[in-house]
Amino acid sequence: MGKLLEWARSASPWILHLNCGSCNGCDIETLDSLMPRYDLERFGVLKKDTPRHADVLVCTGPVTRQMEPRLERIYEQMPEPKLVVAAGSCAASGGVFQDCYSCHDGVDEVIPVDMYVPGCPISPEALIDGLVRLLEESGEGGKASRLRERSEGIFEDSDAPAGVIDDEHVADT
Amino acid sequence: MSLAVELGQSLFYVLVFPGFAFLFGYALVAEYADRKLYARLQNRVGPPAVQPFADFLKLLSKESIVPEDAEGTIFEAAPIVALAGVLTPILYVPIWSVEAVFAFQGDLIVVLFLLTIPSFALIFGGWHSRNAFGQVGTVRTLTQLFGYEIPFFLACLAPAVAAGTWSVSGIASFVGTRPLYIPVFAIGFAVALLSLQAKLERIPFDVPEAETELVTGPLVEYSGRKLALFRLTKDVELVVGAALLSALFLGGPYPAGAIADVGSTAGAVIGFGVFLVKTLAIVFVLTVLRAVLARLRIEQLVSVFYLWLVPLALIQLAVVGVVGTTEVIP
Ligand code: SF4
Repeated sequence: MGKLLEWARSASPWILHLNCGSCNGCDIETLDSLMPRYDLERFGVLKKDTPRHADVLVCTGPVTRQMEPRLERIYEQMPEPKLVVAAGSCAASGGVFQDCYSCHDGVDEVIPVDMYVPGCPISPEALIDGLVRLLEESGEGGKASRLRERSEGIFEDSDAPAGVIDDEHVADT
Repeated sequence: MSLAVELGQSLFYVLVFPGFAFLFGYALVAEYADRKLYARLQNRVGPPAVQPFADFLKLLSKESIVPEDAEGTIFEAAPIVALAGVLTPILYVPIWSVEAVFAFQGDLIVVLFLLTIPSFALIFGGWHSRNAFGQVGTVRTLTQLFGYEIPFFLACLAPAVAAGTWSVSGIASFVGTRPLYIPVFAIGFAVALLSLQAKLERIPFDVPEAETELVTGPLVEYSGRKLALFRLTKDVELVVGAALLSALFLGGPYPAGAIADVGSTAGAVIGFGVFLVKTLAIVFVLTVLRAVLARLRIEQLVSVFYLWLVPLALIQLAVVGVVGTTEVIP
């Protein structure tokens, strides 16, 4: 039964796409990956409109201060188990907005992130690769590092930094 | 037949075939066919065959949230009531033989009533989720309900008037043995198809869901297994609606009756095959409608139903009356 559920989870990731102050480049590419040419529905990915239906939160942009409480709220509204993808250089590290007075330096300053997809903007292939790798990993009994750390209570405090970016969690471009 | 045998048989009908187990499987197949065809029409590859099952299983295993402000009992009961409402009518629709398993005089009314239950469950659930989007969506569901129910009932009335019976099985055998009546019902069939599309809240009649402005309307707060049940309800409703239309307008399991004796095993198998072909054809038409049309606004939707479909359904009734009194079709 556990195996079956793991298979179901990794075969049906519904994504919620959230713009946290991106320049729109990454958003266009994210939507691109759902269009006929790349067609993420092949992997069971559907784009959902409400956080209640979603499994994977795809964030783009460096998270503006305006967006911060909203991002937290939307993250909390998603039902468990949930995963977060930081799509684009801005979402990973602040990118061109680094040290900007009105922005954070990436999504992981606000909520825990499971997968970083680099690129400015990301290419649809990179996003697909990121999602597939993320699901492979989370399928293995929820072994994604965030899930492990969550259970140890590291992210109870949302001010705590969310792990370092290691090679394992960066998708190929 | 002893009581135990009869009870066992009834339980088999309700739980396995044509009840719960069969409907569950067939509904997932229909959803797959619908999504795959939709993807192909958009020049995409589309989901794999097990996709609806994976979605269902995943949703069952997820956390199922009840919002703090929501009316807990109603919010949780709505999906179960909706599913029960759509699982029952299949017992009154003929599938493999002329008679439905629990057919009785007047079951058409029961079927039409049961098919409205999911909409009401959605309305209650959406309203009591106390979410602004959910409540606006609920109001639209209600507005839409008054739009499509009347043409749907009027359209279903036409074959009933022609056959002179209120039993779905009776109507199916009447139309099945007189195939010349099928073109007579063409207008009614079109009206019923469009109304069914609106009942299922699919494009072009998906104003209550309207993801761009209402983020899926009444379903906005549903997650986990409650959402899974609502999704299953929609799929089952699609299958049952298609089965009802095929029985009323296309003669149900006929022409299997002409090929083999309908009571025999061979007749039952052929009749079941005919049922699958006819229902999938109706699902196909509904999918093509969904792929080629764009969403209407709510007031356009109401005027389509009241200004076009209701008069068309009335014309259909008049046509049936003329055909019936002049007896042009033996
Ligand atoms: S990573 Fe580049 S394309 Fe994406 S939001 Fe930032 S600046 Fe725009």
